[in-house]
Amino acid sequence: MPTVLLLSDYDLPTRSASGFLLRNIVPRVEPVQLYAILARRRPFQLSAPQSDIIIGIGHGDAIGFSGQNEVVILEVGRYDPREVEGKVIKLLSCQTGIALGPDLIKNGATSFLGYVDDYVWVCDSDLAATPWTDKMAATCLMPVVDSLNTLLDGKTCQEAIEIEKNGYSRNAEVEEDELLKACLEFNRDNAVLLGDPEGRVRARPKLPLPFRLVPPPPILMPLRR
Amino acid sequence: MTELEEWEKVKQALRKPATPEAMKEAAQAFAKYRVVQLTKGKGSKPTLVTLGRGRGYPNAVPVDKIPEELAKNPNFFNLMKRVVK
Repeated sequence: MPTVLLLSDYDLPTRSASGFLLRNIVPRVEPVQLYAILARRRPFQLSAPQSDIIIGIGHGDAIGFSGQNEVVILEVGRYDPREVEGKVIKLLSCQTGIALGPDLIKNGATSFLGYVDDYVWVCDSDLAATPWTDKMAATCLMPVVDSLNTLLDGKTCQEAIEIEKNGYSRNAEVEEDELLKACLEFNRDNAVLLGDPEGRVRARPKLPLPFRLVPPPPILMPLRR
Repeated sequence: MTELEEWEKVKQALRKPATPEAMKEAAQAFAKYRVVQLTKGKGSKPTLVTLGRGRGYPNAVPVDKIPEELAKNPNFFNLMKRVVK
Protein backbone atom coordinates (compact mmCIF):
# COMPACT_ATOMS: atom_id res chain seq x y z
CA MET A 1 0.00 0.00 0.00
CA PRO A 2 1.59 3.30 -1.05
CA THR A 3 2.01 6.40 1.04
CA VAL A 4 0.42 9.56 -0.26
CA LEU A 5 2.92 12.29 0.43
CA LEU A 6 1.72 15.62 -0.91
CA LEU A 7 4.41 18.30 -0.75
CA SER A 8 3.61 21.78 -2.02
CA ASP A 9 6.63 23.86 -2.93
CA TYR A 10 5.95 27.32 -4.33
CA ASP A 11 6.71 29.84 -1.59
CA LEU A 12 9.00 30.13 1.42
CA PRO A 13 6.84 28.31 4.01
CA THR A 14 5.97 25.38 1.71
CA ARG A 15 9.60 25.17 0.53
CA SER A 16 10.90 25.10 4.09
CA ALA A 17 8.44 22.48 5.36
CA SER A 18 8.56 20.27 2.25
CA GLY A 19 12.36 20.43 2.30
CA PHE A 20 12.47 18.70 5.69
CA LEU A 21 10.22 15.91 4.44
CA LEU A 22 12.17 15.57 1.19
CA ARG A 23 15.28 14.98 3.25
CA ASN A 24 13.89 12.89 6.09
CA ILE A 25 10.69 11.13 5.00
CA VAL A 26 10.74 10.71 1.22
CA PRO A 27 13.66 8.21 1.25
CA ARG A 28 11.65 5.75 3.35
CA VAL A 29 8.33 5.73 1.50
CA GLU A 30 7.21 4.37 -1.85
CA PRO A 31 7.81 6.63 -4.85
CA VAL A 32 4.37 8.14 -5.34
CA GLN A 33 5.14 11.54 -3.86
CA LEU A 34 3.00 14.34 -5.15
CA TYR A 35 5.71 16.98 -5.07
CA ALA A 36 5.42 20.58 -6.34
CA ILE A 37 3.44 20.66 -9.62
CA LEU A 38 2.07 17.18 -8.85
CA ALA A 39 0.56 18.42 -5.60
CA ARG A 40 -2.80 18.86 -7.29
CA ARG A 41 -6.31 17.52 -6.89
CA ARG A 42 -6.35 14.96 -9.76
CA PRO A 43 -3.15 13.07 -8.86
CA PHE A 44 -4.35 13.10 -5.25
CA GLN A 45 -7.74 11.66 -6.25
CA LEU A 46 -6.01 8.84 -8.14
CA SER A 47 -3.50 7.88 -5.45
CA ALA A 48 -5.36 8.53 -2.18
CA PRO A 49 -7.84 5.60 -2.33
CA GLN A 50 -4.94 3.12 -2.59
CA SER A 51 -2.98 4.39 0.41
CA ASP A 52 -3.20 3.77 4.14
CA ILE A 53 -1.66 7.12 5.10
CA ILE A 54 -1.97 10.63 3.72
CA ILE A 55 0.70 13.17 4.64
CA GLY A 56 0.21 16.68 3.33
CA ILE A 57 2.07 19.97 3.43
CA GLY A 58 0.31 23.05 2.12
CA HIS A 59 -1.55 26.17 3.05
CA GLY A 60 -4.90 25.70 4.71
CA ASP A 61 -7.70 27.15 6.75
CA ALA A 62 -10.52 25.82 8.92
CA ILE A 63 -12.40 24.19 6.04
CA GLY A 64 -9.76 23.35 3.47
CA PHE A 65 -6.28 22.13 2.65
CA SER A 66 -4.51 23.19 -0.52
CA GLY A 67 -1.65 21.95 -2.65
CA GLN A 68 0.56 23.64 -5.21
CA ASN A 69 -0.36 27.28 -5.81
CA GLU A 70 -3.29 26.94 -3.40
CA VAL A 71 -5.24 24.51 -5.57
CA VAL A 72 -7.83 22.87 -3.28
CA ILE A 73 -7.01 19.27 -2.34
CA LEU A 74 -9.50 18.60 0.46
CA GLU A 75 -12.38 20.82 1.46
CA VAL A 76 -15.29 20.14 3.79
CA GLY A 77 -18.07 18.46 1.78
CA ARG A 78 -16.12 18.52 -1.50
CA TYR A 79 -14.28 15.20 -1.73
CA ASP A 80 -15.13 11.55 -2.19
CA PRO A 81 -15.13 9.71 1.17
CA ARG A 82 -13.25 6.84 -0.57
CA GLU A 83 -10.21 9.14 -0.64
CA VAL A 84 -10.01 9.21 3.16
CA GLU A 85 -11.80 6.09 4.41
CA GLY A 86 -9.75 3.99 6.83
CA LYS A 87 -6.70 6.23 6.55
CA VAL A 88 -4.42 8.00 8.96
CA ILE A 89 -4.12 11.61 7.83
CA LYS A 90 -1.49 14.14 8.87
CA LEU A 91 -1.78 17.68 7.50
CA LEU A 92 0.96 20.21 8.23
CA SER A 93 -1.18 23.22 7.52
CA CYS A 94 -3.02 25.97 9.37
CA GLN A 95 -6.29 25.44 11.23
CA THR A 96 -7.34 22.21 9.49
CA GLY A 97 -8.11 20.70 12.89
CA ILE A 98 -11.09 23.03 13.31
CA ALA A 99 -13.57 21.82 10.69
CA LEU A 100 -11.75 19.81 7.99
CA GLY A 101 -10.30 17.29 10.46
CA PRO A 102 -13.67 16.50 12.09
CA ASP A 103 -15.21 16.23 8.59
CA LEU A 104 -12.52 13.75 7.50
CA ILE A 105 -13.20 11.63 10.58
CA LYS A 106 -16.96 11.83 9.95
CA ASN A 107 -16.31 10.54 6.42
CA GLY A 108 -14.40 7.49 7.61
CA ALA A 109 -10.78 8.52 8.19
CA THR A 110 -9.32 6.50 11.07
CA SER A 111 -7.29 9.29 12.66
CA PHE A 112 -6.42 12.88 11.87
CA LEU A 113 -3.39 14.84 13.06
CA GLY A 114 -3.40 18.58 12.46
CA TYR A 115 -3.55 22.01 14.10
CA VAL A 116 -6.38 24.18 15.37
CA ASP A 117 -4.60 27.47 14.71
CA ASP A 118 -1.86 28.69 12.38
CA TYR A 119 1.32 26.63 12.12
CA VAL A 120 4.14 29.17 12.56
CA TRP A 121 7.90 28.94 12.62
CA VAL A 122 10.98 30.97 11.80
CA CYS A 123 13.10 29.89 8.86
CA ASP A 124 16.16 31.30 7.17
CA SER A 125 15.22 32.56 3.72
CA ASP A 126 18.90 32.48 2.72
CA LEU A 127 18.67 28.67 2.91
CA ALA A 128 15.71 28.27 0.53
CA ALA A 129 17.85 26.18 -1.84
CA THR A 130 18.76 23.71 0.93
CA PRO A 131 15.89 24.06 3.42
CA TRP A 132 16.83 20.86 5.30
CA THR A 133 20.02 22.56 6.53
CA ASP A 134 18.06 25.34 8.28
CA LYS A 135 18.69 24.91 12.02
CA MET A 136 16.21 27.61 13.00
CA ALA A 137 13.39 25.90 11.09
CA ALA A 138 14.51 22.51 12.40
CA THR A 139 13.48 23.44 15.95
CA CYS A 140 9.83 23.38 14.82
CA LEU A 141 9.94 20.99 11.86
CA MET A 142 12.05 18.14 13.27
CA PRO A 143 9.38 17.26 15.86
CA VAL A 144 7.00 16.87 12.89
CA VAL A 145 9.54 14.64 11.12
CA ASP A 146 10.00 12.57 14.31
CA SER A 147 6.25 12.20 14.66
CA LEU A 148 5.90 11.06 11.01
CA ASN A 149 8.73 8.57 11.46
CA THR A 150 6.88 7.22 14.51
CA LEU A 151 3.80 6.65 12.34
CA LEU A 152 5.90 5.03 9.61
CA ASP A 153 7.44 2.74 12.23
CA GLY A 154 3.92 1.34 12.70
CA LYS A 155 3.28 3.02 16.05
CA THR A 156 -0.02 4.61 17.07
CA CYS A 157 -1.21 8.14 16.35
CA GLN A 158 -1.27 8.81 20.10
CA GLU A 159 2.42 7.94 20.31
CA ALA A 160 3.12 10.10 17.25
CA ILE A 161 1.46 13.22 18.64
CA GLU A 162 3.18 12.76 21.99
CA ILE A 163 6.54 12.56 20.23
CA GLU A 164 5.74 15.77 18.35
CA LYS A 165 4.52 17.68 21.41
CA ASN A 166 7.43 16.49 23.53
CA GLY A 167 9.79 17.59 20.78
CA TYR A 168 8.38 21.12 20.84
CA SER A 169 8.60 21.26 24.63
CA ARG A 170 12.17 19.96 24.66
CA ASN A 171 13.28 22.46 22.03
CA ALA A 172 11.43 25.32 23.76
CA GLU A 173 13.25 24.60 27.02
CA VAL A 174 16.66 25.16 25.46
CA GLU A 175 15.70 27.90 23.00
CA GLU A 176 17.18 31.30 23.81
CA ASP A 177 15.23 33.33 21.27
CA GLU A 178 11.85 34.24 22.76
CA LEU A 179 10.15 34.44 19.36
CA LEU A 180 11.25 30.93 18.39
CA LYS A 181 10.24 29.69 21.81
CA ALA A 182 6.78 31.28 21.45
CA CYS A 183 6.34 29.58 18.04
CA LEU A 184 7.27 26.17 19.50
CA GLU A 185 4.82 26.51 22.39
CA PHE A 186 2.11 27.81 20.06
CA ASN A 187 2.44 24.84 17.68
CA ARG A 188 2.55 22.40 20.60
CA ASP A 189 -0.63 23.81 22.11
CA ASN A 190 -2.46 23.71 18.78
CA ALA A 191 -1.51 20.20 17.66
CA VAL A 192 -4.55 17.89 17.79
CA LEU A 193 -5.33 14.25 17.26
CA LEU A 194 -8.89 13.44 16.20
CA GLY A 195 -10.51 10.04 15.66
CA ASP A 196 -8.91 6.83 16.88
CA PRO A 197 -5.80 7.43 19.05
CA GLU A 198 -4.83 3.80 18.39
CA GLY A 199 -4.89 4.30 14.61
CA ARG A 200 -1.72 3.05 12.92
CA VAL A 201 -0.40 2.16 9.48
CA ARG A 202 1.77 -0.59 8.06
CA ALA A 203 5.36 -0.16 9.23
CA ARG A 204 7.73 0.98 6.50
CA PRO A 205 11.33 -0.22 6.42
CA LYS A 206 13.68 2.01 8.37
CA LEU A 207 16.18 4.08 6.44
CA PRO A 208 19.47 2.35 5.73
CA LEU A 209 22.19 3.89 7.87
CA PRO A 210 24.30 5.72 5.26
CA PHE A 211 21.27 7.51 3.74
CA ARG A 212 22.37 10.87 5.16
CA LEU A 213 25.45 10.70 2.98
CA VAL A 214 23.28 10.71 -0.12
CA PRO A 215 22.47 14.28 -1.16
CA PRO A 216 18.79 15.14 -1.45
CA PRO A 217 17.43 16.04 -4.89
CA PRO A 218 18.32 19.56 -6.05
CA ILE A 219 15.54 22.09 -5.72
CA LEU A 220 15.49 24.14 -8.87
CA MET A 221 12.07 25.70 -8.96
CA PRO A 222 11.93 29.40 -8.16
CA LEU A 223 9.74 30.56 -5.28
CA ARG A 224 6.71 32.75 -5.88
CA ARG A 225 7.32 36.29 -4.68
CA MET B 1 17.56 46.48 29.73
CA THR B 2 17.81 42.69 29.34
CA GLU B 3 16.32 40.61 26.56
CA LEU B 4 13.70 39.16 28.85
CA GLU B 5 12.60 42.59 29.99
CA GLU B 6 12.34 43.72 26.36
CA TRP B 7 10.33 40.61 25.51
CA GLU B 8 8.02 41.26 28.46
CA LYS B 9 7.28 44.67 26.93
CA VAL B 10 6.39 42.99 23.61
CA LYS B 11 4.02 40.66 25.45
CA GLN B 12 2.38 43.49 27.36
CA ALA B 13 1.83 45.50 24.17
CA LEU B 14 0.32 42.49 22.42
CA ARG B 15 -2.17 41.92 25.23
CA LYS B 16 -4.01 45.10 24.24
CA PRO B 17 -6.78 45.22 21.62
CA ALA B 18 -5.62 45.96 18.06
CA THR B 19 -5.94 49.74 18.15
CA PRO B 20 -3.50 51.89 16.12
CA GLU B 21 -1.82 52.99 19.37
CA ALA B 22 -1.38 49.43 20.64
CA MET B 23 -0.10 48.28 17.25
CA LYS B 24 2.48 51.06 17.22
CA GLU B 25 3.52 50.26 20.78
CA ALA B 26 3.94 46.57 19.94
CA ALA B 27 5.94 47.45 16.83
CA GLN B 28 8.32 49.63 18.83
CA ALA B 29 8.68 47.04 21.58
CA PHE B 30 9.41 44.28 19.05
CA ALA B 31 11.96 46.44 17.23
CA LYS B 32 13.79 47.08 20.51
CA TYR B 33 13.72 43.38 21.39
CA ARG B 34 15.22 42.43 18.04
CA VAL B 35 18.00 44.99 18.45
CA VAL B 36 18.97 43.23 21.66
CA GLN B 37 18.81 39.82 19.96
CA LEU B 38 20.71 40.88 16.85
CA THR B 39 23.65 42.04 18.92
CA LYS B 40 24.20 38.37 19.72
CA GLY B 41 25.47 37.96 16.20
CA LYS B 42 22.86 35.60 14.74
CA GLY B 43 23.38 36.07 11.01
CA SER B 44 21.19 34.91 8.13
CA LYS B 45 17.78 36.19 7.15
CA PRO B 46 15.26 34.90 9.70
CA THR B 47 11.69 35.01 8.42
CA LEU B 48 8.47 34.27 10.28
CA VAL B 49 6.34 31.96 8.14
CA THR B 50 2.88 30.40 8.42
CA LEU B 51 0.88 27.87 6.42
CA GLY B 52 -2.35 29.91 6.51
CA ARG B 53 -4.57 30.66 3.54
CA GLY B 54 -6.33 33.98 2.94
CA ARG B 55 -5.71 35.25 6.46
CA GLY B 56 -5.13 38.93 5.72
CA TYR B 57 -1.39 38.88 6.45
CA PRO B 58 1.62 37.70 4.48
CA ASN B 59 2.72 34.06 4.82
CA ALA B 60 6.33 35.15 5.18
CA VAL B 61 7.50 38.21 7.11
CA PRO B 62 11.25 38.80 7.55
CA VAL B 63 11.84 39.18 11.27
CA ASP B 64 13.29 42.67 10.82
CA LYS B 65 10.05 43.69 9.07
CA ILE B 66 7.78 42.39 11.86
CA PRO B 67 7.59 45.84 13.52
CA GLU B 68 6.34 47.40 10.25
CA GLU B 69 3.74 44.69 9.78
CA LEU B 70 2.67 44.92 13.42
CA ALA B 71 2.17 48.67 13.10
CA LYS B 72 0.02 48.53 9.97
CA ASN B 73 -1.81 45.20 9.91
CA PRO B 74 -4.37 44.36 12.63
CA ASN B 75 -4.66 40.75 11.37
CA PHE B 76 -0.94 40.24 11.82
CA PHE B 77 -1.10 41.96 15.22
CA ASN B 78 -3.79 39.46 16.23
CA LEU B 79 -1.70 36.52 14.99
CA MET B 80 1.26 37.71 17.07
CA LYS B 81 -1.07 38.22 20.02
CA ARG B 82 -2.04 34.53 19.80
CA VAL B 83 1.53 33.32 19.31
CA VAL B 84 3.13 35.47 22.03
CA LYS B 85 1.07 34.68 25.12
